[in-house]
Amino acid sequence: MKKILKWTAIVAGCLVVVGFLAFLYFIPPLTMIPQTAFTEPLAQALDAPLKSIKDPAEKILAERGKMIVGRSACNDCHTPQGSQGPNYDEFLAGGGMKDGFKLYGSVVSRNLTPDKETGMGTRTDAEIMRVLRSGVFHDGRLMEPVYMPWFDFSNMTDEDRYAVVVYLRHLKPVWHKIPDYSPHSDFEKLSETAGDYAEHQSVH
Amino acid sequence: MKRWFVYFLFGTAGAAAAFLLYFWMGALSPLNGSPNPNQSEQSMPLGKAIYQAKCATCHGASGKGDGKAAPLLNPAPRDFTSGMYKIRTTESGSIPTDDDLARSITYGLYGSAMPDWGPFLHGDSLKAIIAYIKSFSPRFEKEKPRVVDISSPVPSSASSVANGKRVYAKLQCASCHGTDGKGTDATATDLIDDWGNEITAANLTEPWTFKGRSTARDIYLRFRTGMNGTPMPSYVGSASEKEMWNLANYVVSLARKPVWAMNAEELKAFYSAADAEAKKNPVERGKYLVESSCEGCHSGYSADGKVVPEFKLAGGLVFDIYPFGKFTSFNLTSDKETGLGNWTDAEIKRAITQGIQRDGSRLLPFPMPWTSIAQMPDDDVNAIIAYLRTVPPIRNEVPLPEKPNIFSYMWGKFEMLILKKQYPGYIYPLKDFSKMEHDAKGGTDGGQDSEESQNTSSGSLSTPLVVHNENPFRNDVKEVQP
Repeated sequence: MKKILKWTAIVAGCLVVVGFLAFLYFIPPLTMIPQTAFTEPLAQALDAPLKSIKDPAEKILAERGKMIVGRSACNDCHTPQGSQGPNYDEFLAGGGMKDGFKLYGSVVSRNLTPDKETGMGTRTDAEIMRVLRSGVFHDGRLMEPVYMPWFDFSNMTDEDRYAVVVYLRHLKPVWHKIPDYSPHSDFEKLSETAGDYAEHQSVH
Repeated sequence: MKRWFVYFLFGTAGAAAAFLLYFWMGALSPLNGSPNPNQSEQSMPLGKAIYQAKCATCHGASGKGDGKAAPLLNPAPRDFTSGMYKIRTTESGSIPTDDDLARSITYGLYGSAMPDWGPFLHGDSLKAIIAYIKSFSPRFEKEKPRVVDISSPVPSSASSVANGKRVYAKLQCASCHGTDGKGTDATATDLIDDWGNEITAANLTEPWTFKGRSTARDIYLRFRTGMNGTPMPSYVGSASEKEMWNLANYVVSLARKPVWAMNAEELKAFYSAADAEAKKNPVERGKYLVESSCEGCHSGYSADGKVVPEFKLAGGLVFDIYPFGKFTSFNLTSDKETGLGNWTDAEIKRAITQGIQRDGSRLLPFPMPWTSIAQMPDDDVNAIIAYLRTVPPIRNEVPLPEKPNIFSYMWGKFEMLILKKQYPGYIYPLKDFSKMEHDAKGGTDGGQDSEESQNTSSGSLSTPLVVHNENPFRNDVKEVQP
């Protein structure tokens, strides 16, 4: 009897150690992955749309746009998440960030690719620039500042915003349907922001 | 008997627990969320409903220009309670006509965050919103707009433009706008409006940024009527009608081509000139980059989700992301103890492009997007650092990232990837920064002796914005005028 117990303990101990090592191997903590594993795929994904541009003027503008899209971290929210970080095959196809807010409803990051049906294909330049400048969507709805920091992008120059639009026009179109805005928080995941949090604290 | 009693006790406790659990779940259930404030109540008057849905985010519910998005916008949103408007067809100091307001709403104010509402607000809704905006200021009831007479325009011609150039020199436009219209050699650079907001003189070579649009008539109106609330005066006494029209024609002639009209050679020349300019003037470039990307997260917020201007760039927004940990945006001001004051340039660069903290530990690729900043050209990264060096010190101690231990992290990953559980992310201010206004700006972390205060006040910057009082028992701060 004692022997069985002893062996069970040993086997369990081994399993724990093996499981731990397997964890470190398959899903290592993000700080154990070299930085270039994050930055290089992003750099490649950012560069990919530039290759097919024929028109020299558009190419120069798109390069500027690429710099701005890169530094503004659009990718952090607008690229769908795979199991191992962003899925760069669907670069900027939306859905990378889903949030439900008690006060502001549910939002999902939009598909920025020029897909006609689910993306920005049918939006005019002015409509895209208006979202970046003033947080007003094509249908006149105002974006809460907690969704996308348009108040930061509003401080960009119009020429820079135009360069962003030119870049977005040359992304690979991806069909990725994003649910429409809903004024209720209908996700299981219920995020809180400063405003929400104040309410949350006053409730408890 | 005893046994029955125990059963009874357990039964009651169980029922109570179930009851409580039910309500607790109800409170947490997403369906129970309060309705979106954007959706106006049906009973509300039309103007108020539109205002709350479309305008209040920037202009504030009470029209004071203090909405949620206002503190980070440059130029700042209009304060409707003053009744002062820049873009008018009326005499200097007068209130605008309804048509002026309609024009500003329909076409927007270029060069600011005010969009063109034309496609969305017209007819009755436009009338209703104008009436509601006017109701914020008593001036609209008492006064009548005094419309200026613009019946004798001078058409543009070579001689008119040449005359206009002379008027430009005579009226000393160059002191704010520069001799080239770009403001390069302007002497008056620290311009503020009547509300104390920092403003910049228009770049006259970029007509698409003119708030009141850019035809000769629009530009003439700006000289004729002045821009109330800003340093731009009316020139009605110092120049004749004809001179002002000539000047308007001259300003129209200063326009350069925008990038969307340029061909490849012009774009190449334009951008290499812009890059050279940015390299020569890294602080300005850095300011532009920081204002258009960093401020949103690296600022102190009030409990209702609004940036507190005194804590701009002072950090203090918490991102609580399970199972990765809790991250607080860092104080980017040049404060020696709590900010970047003691960091070297190389340390800042390493942190923002490689995600390595000052002590050598690593940052996750989120929420701080160093992976994206790593995509920036080297000059831009250096410009950001150069600008951050000039940000006046603000004392605000923020905690370093709180990371979970490896086992809770493993369990969290297991929950995420295998059990497919989703946990909420929390974004909230470290504390209510609006309440820190005068007694905690100096010492947000409580007790702090006078010796320390003197250390912080003798920073490397010649004019620190915030210095500590000598009284060691009060952590008050006072503002020093540079």
